Amino acid sequence: MSALTFRLRHEPQLRVSLALLVPQTLARLSPAAIPEMELTWGSGAIKVGELFEIRGSDASHLVFEGGSPKLDRIGEAMASGEIIVRGDAGAYLGHRMAGGTIRVDGSVGAYCASGARNGFITVDGDAGDFLAAALPGEHRGMAGGLVLIRGDAGERAGDRMRRGVVLIEGSAGDYCASRMGAGTIAVLGRTGAGIATGMRRGTLLLRETPELPPTFNDCGVHDLGFLQLLYRSWASLPGGFAALPGNSLTVRRLVGDLGNGGKGEVLVWV
Amino acid sequence: MQINGIPVADTFAEAFAMWGARVLITAENEKWAQAAARTMTGFATSVIGCKCEAGIERTVPAAETPDGRPGVAVLLFAMDSAGVGKRLVERIGQCVMTCPTTACYNGLTAEESVMVGGALRFFGDGYQASKLLDGRRYWRVPVMDGEFLVEERFGVQKAVGGGNLLILGDDTAAALAAAEAAVAAMQQVPGVILPFPDGVVRSGSKVGSRYKALIASTNDAYCPSLRAVAPNTQLPEDVGCVLEIVIDGLDLPAVEEAMRRGLQAVARPGIRQISAGNYGGNLGQFKIGLHALLNGAGETA
Repeated sequence: MSALTFRLRHEPQLRVSLALLVPQTLARLSPAAIPEMELTWGSGAIKVGELFEIRGSDASHLVFEGGSPKLDRIGEAMASGEIIVRGDAGAYLGHRMAGGTIRVDGSVGAYCASGARNGFITVDGDAGDFLAAALPGEHRGMAGGLVLIRGDAGERAGDRMRRGVVLIEGSAGDYCASRMGAGTIAVLGRTGAGIATGMRRGTLLLRETPELPPTFNDCGVHDLGFLQLLYRSWASLPGGFAALPGNSLTVRRLVGDLGNGGKGEVLVWV
Repeated sequence: MQINGIPVADTFAEAFAMWGARVLITAENEKWAQAAARTMTGFATSVIGCKCEAGIERTVPAAETPDGRPGVAVLLFAMDSAGVGKRLVERIGQCVMTCPTTACYNGLTAEESVMVGGALRFFGDGYQASKLLDGRRYWRVPVMDGEFLVEERFGVQKAVGGGNLLILGDDTAAALAAAEAAVAAMQQVPGVILPFPDGVVRSGSKVGSRYKALIASTNDAYCPSLRAVAPNTQLPEDVGCVLEIVIDGLDLPAVEEAMRRGLQAVARPGIRQISAGNYGGNLGQFKIGLHALLNGAGETA
């Protein structure tokens, strides 16, 4: 069976939610029923067949061809299988994802991986603001899984993140790891202002020493053995995280935010 | 039946159902991994007096360990899974966490598991932190040389304890040489340990005692100096020394394989008979017949 492929007929004029187009939902439908599904389209609805040209039949492997930043909620609550996006994707990619794999060869919008509990997301381009962060009104952001951004991430990456791993090969915007509750974020590029503000727990691993709030204390340079486990768990990933700087376990450990519990750590390779 | 002309008694080793765990200790170098493993497996010869039985299974090359450092695999056995958990917390807490540069990982994939690092983390007094990687949680406990890394849960599985061989020799030198040869051969078998000092025990025991406070006492039937007074002595006239090798394993085939290799290795000049200890077959769940082992079969009865 070939992958169930949705080829975008034209650039959508309005934002459209693809939350229904996930493997566990499509596997229950007949081929004839899929084009008749109605997607949220602005404040109205649009049939899948009007938006996409459909081919293939394997609902456990979905491909979206001809991406658009208006295609929201791709892989929302996805439980298993694989989704490939050839092009850009909109907001909420992998929102509340529980398993499976999403690969995007373009860029994604805001709130990518927000509320994800498990699974693996790779984005070859950039990620918008609030990567793996909590939605407004929610207490927890990403709660499990791994997100790899090959490009840059926007502001507030990892805001209120609860668990899991976020890897950013490029740079991260302002307030990265703000109010972070647990988990691991690693950034190979630069970071912005307000980094780790309100961080409660968790680990932020950086290549360059950041401009931290004064509520972080420098605990000195140490060899931390758990980093070897982290590196090994990333060894099969594409890109820079598979070969970190000499797999160095030696880091400067900055602990904080002491104004908010103070059990988080910013580790900087030395 | 004989091996190399040495009689093998038509008897069986009576082994018991236990629970076991494998602990993988790593350190900056093998010296410190061995130091932690030796300390952790000290005073762990018999559940009768030590609450558990433990020993070093093998050294583990750095390429095979989770953190790429030299390692040592330790097996620990107790009578139930809760007992394994308690002993692991005690011994890892007192003997591995205290040892410079060490880390401690679960080395057994099993359906059941017991909390270990999840209990030891409280030593961190609030400064501890954890990482969840590939479904396994590791605790980082701050200590004076950096951090002690310990896995939260350790797998436990049903196991077999008390496999044994009795070596009846002309004298101490002959029995000791045979025992050392057997230990060297048996230690090559994965999944087993020989919990007594360097694998050998001289104070074999029988169940019960004339003293009410004791649940076990000397195995007078195999004490050469009691040959003429013990009511049920098992020793021919020319036996001057008896040594025993006890085997615990993660499963019965591993114990049987170790005993099979031990039988072959122990059959050498100066040995009068090879036998095994049992309690009449009434106490243990496993009866490992010596003749059956030599015939290529496994457990008897």
